[in-house]
Amino acid sequence: MVVVTRSISIHPRTQHTLWQAGGYVALYVLLDGASYVRPVLKLGITPWNPQAGLTVAFLLAFGPRWLFATALAAFCAEGLVRDMPAAWWLLLATSAWIAAAYAILALALRRWGLQRPIDSGSKAVTLVLGAMAAGFVVAAGYVLLLVVGGALPGSMASAAVARYWVGDVNGILTLTPLLLLWSRWRDGLRTVRGNVAVVAAQLGVLALTMWFIFGLSGAQQVRFFYLLFVPVMWITLRWGAPGAVLGVLVTQIGVIMAVQRNAQVPSLVDLQFLVLTLSVTALVLGAVISERAEALQRLAQREAEQRTLLATAPDAVLAVDRTGDISSANPAALRLFGEEAVAQAGRPLTAILPGIDLTRPDGRVSLEGLGRDGRPFPAEIAWAPLHVPARAAHLVIVRDATERRQSEIELRERERDLARAMRFAVAGELASALAHELNQPITALVSYLQATAILAAPLAGRDERLTATLLKAMQEALRASEVLHRLRDFYRGGAIKREPVNLVALCEATVANFRERLQRADIELTLHTDDSLPSMRVGVTQLEIVLHNILANAIDAVCQRSGSPRRILFAIERTADAVTVRIEDSGPGIDPEVVQKLFEPFVTSKVDGMGLGLAISRSLLRGQRGDLTYEPGHRWGGASFTVHLPYGMPTDE
Amino acid sequence: MNDPTVFLVDDDVAVRDALSLLISVKGLRTAVFASAEGFLNTYSVSWRGCLLTDLQMPGMPGLQLQRHLVERGIELPVVVLTAHGDVATTRAALKNGALDFLEKPVDDEVLIEVLRNAIRVDEQRHRARTSRDQTLQRVAKLTPRELDVLRLLAEGLQHREIAARLAISPRTVEVYKARMMEKLQVRTLADVIRLGADMAREAAITTS
Repeated sequence: MVVVTRSISIHPRTQHTLWQAGGYVALYVLLDGASYVRPVLKLGITPWNPQAGLTVAFLLAFGPRWLFATALAAFCAEGLVRDMPAAWWLLLATSAWIAAAYAILALALRRWGLQRPIDSGSKAVTLVLGAMAAGFVVAAGYVLLLVVGGALPGSMASAAVARYWVGDVNGILTLTPLLLLWSRWRDGLRTVRGNVAVVAAQLGVLALTMWFIFGLSGAQQVRFFYLLFVPVMWITLRWGAPGAVLGVLVTQIGVIMAVQRNAQVPSLVDLQFLVLTLSVTALVLGAVISERAEALQRLAQREAEQRTLLATAPDAVLAVDRTGDISSANPAALRLFGEEAVAQAGRPLTAILPGIDLTRPDGRVSLEGLGRDGRPFPAEIAWAPLHVPARAAHLVIVRDATERRQSEIELRERERDLARAMRFAVAGELASALAHELNQPITALVSYLQATAILAAPLAGRDERLTATLLKAMQEALRASEVLHRLRDFYRGGAIKREPVNLVALCEATVANFRERLQRADIELTLHTDDSLPSMRVGVTQLEIVLHNILANAIDAVCQRSGSPRRILFAIERTADAVTVRIEDSGPGIDPEVVQKLFEPFVTSKVDGMGLGLAISRSLLRGQRGDLTYEPGHRWGGASFTVHLPYGMPTDE
Repeated sequence: MNDPTVFLVDDDVAVRDALSLLISVKGLRTAVFASAEGFLNTYSVSWRGCLLTDLQMPGMPGLQLQRHLVERGIELPVVVLTAHGDVATTRAALKNGALDFLEKPVDDEVLIEVLRNAIRVDEQRHRARTSRDQTLQRVAKLTPRELDVLRLLAEGLQHREIAARLAISPRTVEVYKARMMEKLQVRTLADVIRLGADMAREAAITTS
C-alpha cells in the first residue's frame, strides 16, 4: 500500500493570479461606470458594455474556472455603479448568469485557439459568431430574470434585450481582440513610430469624418454613418487585424463621446448596430489581410530557400515543360551542359540527354549525356513530375558520374591486382611448404640409397646392375627434390618492385577497403599515425597483402567475441631501427598453444581457413628484410600483430 | 662416449634413421636425438666429436640450440643441415659459430668429409684445451714471488730491473727463476715469455 502525503498550499503563481483577478474586478467596475450611458430604468442595460470584452479576454487568458471573479465583478458593479437597482438575490442571480455564459464562451473559444491573437479569417468569424450567441444568451437571461423578479416591466423586455445584446457584442468585438494582442504592444508601438505620418493621417481622416457625421442632425447621422467605413477600411487594409481593432475602438469611443456631449443623437442603439456592422466587417477583413500577408511572407521565404538550394546544388537541375523542352536550369546545369544548350528557352531535353524517356514510371536512369562542347559523359538522372498547373511538367536532376566511374574502375583494378598478388603468394607459400615437407622424406630416401649402395658393394660382383640401379634410384630422388626447389624458387623469385610508399595513405586505403564490413559489424577502428615518417621504399603490393590479411583476421576475431565493444587499433609508430604498424584487436586473442607455431603454414583457428595468411605475410615481409611478430594485446586482451619495416631496407635487388 | 661421435639432432624420424645409418656405414659413431632439448638434457662434457643438427624443428629450432651451446660453454663443433636456398638462415647459423653447413638432401661424400673435418677440429680443440689445463695446473704451484718474476720476465724486463722492482737482490731473482722454470717444466727463456704472455691474455679475457 502506498501512502501519498499531500500538502495543500497556494502556489506562488496562483497568488500572482489572484492579484490579477482583483485588478480585473476593479477594472470591470471602472469600465462599467465609465460606460454607464443611456440606461434603461437605471438598470445595467446599456448599449455599450466594454466590461463584457474585458471579461471574455480575462476568461480566455486565465481559464473559464475564474468565472467566480466575473460573478463578483458583476455584482460589485451593480452595487457600486448603480446602487443596487433590484433585490440583492436577484442581482446575485443575474451576476451568476453572466459569469456562467461567458465562461462557456471562453471554454469554446479556447478550444478554437482563440486565447492567442486572431491571425485568420476563420478565427475572426468564430469570435464574431460566438460573441453574438453568448451575448444573446446573456442579454435574454439577464432581462428575463429582471422581468421575473419584478424589476422590469414585461413590455420593455424585447427592447431591453436588443440594447443589452448590442452593447455586449460591441464590447467584446472592440476590446477582446485588442486585449488578446496585448503581448505584442511593443511591435505595435514600433510600427506606429515608424509610420507616424500615415497613422496621423488615418486618425485625422477618422476624426474628421466623425466630426462631420456627428455635426449633422439625428436622422442624418444614421444616413451618413457609412462614411466611417472609408477611414476604418483604409486603416484595416493598411495594417490588418491590429489596425482594424484599433480603428474600431477609436470609432466606438468617438461615438460614445459624441453621444455624451450631443443631446441631438436620436438613438444610440441604432448607432451601436451600425458600429457593430463596422466592427464585424473590419475585424474579419483585417484578419483575412493579416493571414494573407503571413502566407505571402512564408511563400517568399520558401521560394528564397528553394532558389538558394537550386543555385548551390552540386547537381544539375532542369525544369522541363510538357513538350519536353527545357524551361529553366540552375547554375550547375549551365556549367555541365554549357549556356547555349540549356539557357535559351525551347531547347529539347533530348538534345543533351539523348534517349531519355520521362514517361517511365521509376523516374531514374543512367545513360550517356552530352556535356559542354558535345563531350559525352556518364550521367545519373532522376526526375519527378510537377503536380502544379504550370508550364514545367517535370523536374530533372542530372549528376555527372565521370569521377565516380573512374574511381570505381581504379578500385576494381586495385582489387584485381591485389587478388592476383595474393594468389601468387598463396601458390608460393604452398610450393615452399610442399618443398619443405617433401624434402625430408627425399633426404631420408637419398641417404638410405647411399647407405644401401655401400652395404651392397660386396654383392656388386654378382650382378653389375645392382650398383647402377641404386645410382639411378638415387638420381631420380634427387631430381624430384630439384623439381620442388625450382617450383619454390619460381614463386619466391618474383622480383619485388620497390616503390616509395606513403605508409599512412596505404593504411588508410587498406581500412577503406573494409569500410563496409567495419560498419556492418559495428566495429570502432582507430588509426594512430606518425607525421614524421621517413620515406621508405618497399614492395607496396606485398605490404598491402600483409595489412589486408591482418586486418581481415582482426575483424574476424572481434566478431567472435559477442557482448564486449568491438575495437581495432591501427598504430603506425617509429622505433630505434624500424617503422612498425601494430594492429591490435579486442577479440579473444590467440591460444598460447597455437602461438608457438602461429606462422607455420596450415595452422589455423578458422573452420574455413587454409592457414596460409600469416605464413604468407611473414614470408612476404622477410623477403624484404622486414618481419611480422605476434604478442598478446595489452590494451583489450586480444591479439596484437606488428609489421616491422626496418630503416634502410635494401633498394631494388 | 669418449670416442669421436656424430651427435645427430633432427625431428624427422626417417631422416634421423637414414643419416645415422649412412654415417655409421661410412665408419663413424653416431648418437641420435629427436629434439634440441633431448640433446641438451643428456649432454655430458666428456663427449667428443661433432653436432649435426637440422635448423627447422618444432620446439627449439637449430639457431636457438646454438645459442644454448654458447651459453653453456659447450665447444662441440656444429654442422647445420639446411633446406636448399635458405640463405638467410644458413648465414645466421654460420654467424652463430657453426663450422659448416650441409644442404638436404646430402651427398654422402660431402657429408663424411665435412663430419671428419669437424671431428678433427674437435680433437685439436680438445688437445689445446688439455695442454692449457696442464700448464695452468703447474702455474698454480708457483709461489707469489715466482709468479711475479714470471710476469715481469714476460714483460721483457732484465734481472736487475726485476730485482729493483721487487726490492730483492738479482741473485735471489736468479733463484726464483730457476725454481719457477723447474716447476713449469720449461727449458728456454723464450718458452717462459710465451707462457707469461698467454697468461696475461687469459687474465685480460677473464677480467673483461
